[in-house]
Amino acid sequence: MRPLRTLIASLAALALLAALPAAAAAARAGAKPQNSCLDCHRELDDARLAAPAKAFREDVHGAHGLGCIGCHGGDPTDTDITSMDPDKGFKGTPARKDIAEMCATCHANVEFMKRYNPQPYIFSMAEFRTSVHCKRIEEGDPKVATCTNCHGVHGMLSRKDPRSPVHRRNVPATCARCHNPEYMKGRTAPTDQYALYRTSVHGKALLEKGDLSAPACNNCHGNHGAVPPNTRDISLVCGTCHGREGELFAKSTVKAGLELEGKRGCATCHGNHGVQLPTDALIGTTGAGVCGRCHERGSAGARATDVIVPAFHALKARIGNADSLLDVADRLGMEVEAGRELLKQADDQLVNVRATLHGFDTKQITAVLTEGDGLADQAISQARAALKDWRTRRIGMAVSVVAILLMAGLLVLRIRRLERGAGA
Amino acid sequence: MNRLHEWLRDRLGLEALQHVADKKDVPVHRHSFWYYWGGMTLFLFGIQVATGILLLLYYRASADEAYESVRFLMTQVSFGWLIRSIHSWSANLMIGAAMVHMFSAFLLKAYRAPREATWLSGMVLLGLSLAFGFSGYLLPWNELAFFATKVGTDITGAVPVIGPFMLRFLRGGEHITGGTLTRFFGFHVAILPAVTTVILGVHLYLVMRHGMSVPPSVEGRTPPPPRMKFVPNFLLRDMVGWLAALALLALLAALFPWELGLKADPYAPAPAGIKPEWYFGWMFQTLRVLPAHILGVEGELVGILGIGLGGVVWLLVPFLDDPRGQGPRARFWRWLGVVAIIYVVVFTLLVYRGAKP
Amino acid sequence: MKRRDLLGWAIKLMGATLGGFVLYPLARYLVPPSIPEAVTRRVVAAKKGDVPPGGFKTFPFGAQPGILIHTADDRWLALSAVCTHLGCTVQYKSGDRMIWCACHDGFYDLDGRNVSGPPPTPLERYVVHVEGEDVIVEKAKA
Repeated sequence: MRPLRTLIASLAALALLAALPAAAAAARAGAKPQNSCLDCHRELDDARLAAPAKAFREDVHGAHGLGCIGCHGGDPTDTDITSMDPDKGFKGTPARKDIAEMCATCHANVEFMKRYNPQPYIFSMAEFRTSVHCKRIEEGDPKVATCTNCHGVHGMLSRKDPRSPVHRRNVPATCARCHNPEYMKGRTAPTDQYALYRTSVHGKALLEKGDLSAPACNNCHGNHGAVPPNTRDISLVCGTCHGREGELFAKSTVKAGLELEGKRGCATCHGNHGVQLPTDALIGTTGAGVCGRCHERGSAGARATDVIVPAFHALKARIGNADSLLDVADRLGMEVEAGRELLKQADDQLVNVRATLHGFDTKQITAVLTEGDGLADQAISQARAALKDWRTRRIGMAVSVVAILLMAGLLVLRIRRLERGAGA
Repeated sequence: MNRLHEWLRDRLGLEALQHVADKKDVPVHRHSFWYYWGGMTLFLFGIQVATGILLLLYYRASADEAYESVRFLMTQVSFGWLIRSIHSWSANLMIGAAMVHMFSAFLLKAYRAPREATWLSGMVLLGLSLAFGFSGYLLPWNELAFFATKVGTDITGAVPVIGPFMLRFLRGGEHITGGTLTRFFGFHVAILPAVTTVILGVHLYLVMRHGMSVPPSVEGRTPPPPRMKFVPNFLLRDMVGWLAALALLALLAALFPWELGLKADPYAPAPAGIKPEWYFGWMFQTLRVLPAHILGVEGELVGILGIGLGGVVWLLVPFLDDPRGQGPRARFWRWLGVVAIIYVVVFTLLVYRGAKP
Repeated sequence: MKRRDLLGWAIKLMGATLGGFVLYPLARYLVPPSIPEAVTRRVVAAKKGDVPPGGFKTFPFGAQPGILIHTADDRWLALSAVCTHLGCTVQYKSGDRMIWCACHDGFYDLDGRNVSGPPPTPLERYVVHVEGEDVIVEKAKA
């Protein structure tokens, strides 16, 4: 009796256990929305047709529930080729000029995007229409970028993913896919941007050092409304990060002059794509100095540079002088902390001048130079005082040593006298 | 002046002192030059006490303030730079003088009976001055001092049995911290001076009692060497020497002022070329050249034990040498003394020639 | 006789001179210096009148600059003026009531917290006392 019941119970348990995976599979199959597109295309031999399905596994849209039909239409429940029936809504591969509108149906829809993110980026079709890319596509140009060219399409990754072509570090290379001499052959647009950018201080910071605060193409040109900045925009663009210089420049009297007549704001002196770390050699009218490029001899501007440039180099020289004097005092063993503090402050003023130059206001610049001069002079007098102290000590020492040796000599005489007299 | 003198004499009983001083005399022979070195060491010690007390007026013994207080002293206090440089230089000169005094006493066999206790107390005084040097060196709390102290206490920690305890005792813990500084300060300005005063008193009393030892080569001669009075002849000569030392100190303080260096940062890596002060140099260099293992024992340990053993032998030489100071045993010890001096000098110099790390 | 006296006299004179050479520096050393202690913990940053409300002053504190701020509502604040990004000296923008570093547009609030731009950590805050006309800045107790 007992053994039989045990046997039946065990068999029942085993049957249940065996049934669980099958039940789960059935449940899963029933719960998941059927995607016959992926199922079929994944198995195809033709690489061109299979690739999108395989890539879709990583796709950011796919992860949020937007499947193939979202863009291509069709019937995902139909496991036959009839799923691609236009009557069932199948759109096939969208035409290039329709892609932006298609993406915009979701990405420009605030209500919709808010389902995925409380603070979504809302794509603006109006903005995109201002861009050169959009205009050219609508003219029928086949070689111009639209959404999928930059963001990818099947297997699209979030821009925060380092593998995404629109991750900040990858943006320059993505733009350069088209903006290079071979691809752009026959067009009038310049093609040296990427090559120049890679040599620039921004490019080196972003691409070599991985500094994500450095600008990529879109930071200056915009994302979806990409245009070469209007000459009026340049100083605003640069001023986004280079706040102080931008602020000073905006208030300056030469801003207008540097933005009309084909001059290009900041880029006039600093260049744009190939911008290098500015050196003091840029300050001046000769050699690498940029002032002389515009300011002809005898003009008001030239007269201002004649005042500013020598004063700037004089301050640098003063600081250098103070530095070496302090060094000398230091090596002689004198304490030079106070002098060094002053020198640091003088140096701070030098840094200040380099920024203040962008205001092109002689009075303002000269004021900073004078302050720097004052501090450097104080540092120099500290150093000189230390050296004077050192000389005083030497003299004091010499006098003391002489006195001591004199005394020693007198004592020797005393000893001699003592011993001569006593006959000892 | 004379009346003051009389007044003091009557009240302090100075005649007894005067009597003793008048009786004291010093043998004159070709080795008499070496008699001055004890007094020189004493003079330099006096300089240390005086300048040390003056430094106490401005120095602060906490890790937060030590370096800054020394810097303050060097820059804001009148002649503070002078007092500090003299203190640092005189420390080195004093230890140098002590070593000359010791080596000359050894070679001239001044340790023979009845002066064994003088020798022993002298060796203790030498040890105390090395302790003064080691503890004082840390007080400015600069980079070099911090790491030199670390190396020095590390080596102490390698002594068998008592090493780890000694390390913790010296450092006031496992690591060098502000606690170490406070402790070293206590050693340097209180404990060591107190002990030194007692031992120095004993040493000087013994010297007064037994007078100057005459070296064996001079002893046997007839007639016996002439003698000069301690007061005023020897003393005046002493003073000439002291004045010369003073002049040297003035020169050194002005021409080679003692560096302040960088403030110690316990978390920074040790800078290259850390070495202790020169008077520990020969020991340091000995440990450096020994191989990592000797007959299965750690090289450093062998070195420490070897030096320790050497020190004990050196200490006990009055009992090991021939009491007459003549004969083959005496010659052996003299020869050993010469070898030891050469060893110490050479190995001290090797530290500075960047010999094998 | 004369020569003996001369020597004795010379020795006394020289002795006195040397005594002077020792006592003079000693006496000067014992006299307290103009500032009683090292300025790394406590310093008179400014006179009250130097810094009007809404103004600020950079002052040396130990080996580094500090910034003393007199806010429009008559509060006195002092912080380290060394920007925690790349070490430039910061300044006070009274309009925004923020501390600003001109080098790379870093911003700190009046508590020294780094609120915008590249600075990675806050500025060290100091303690300010006003004693009569003097505004005294001290390092905060640990």
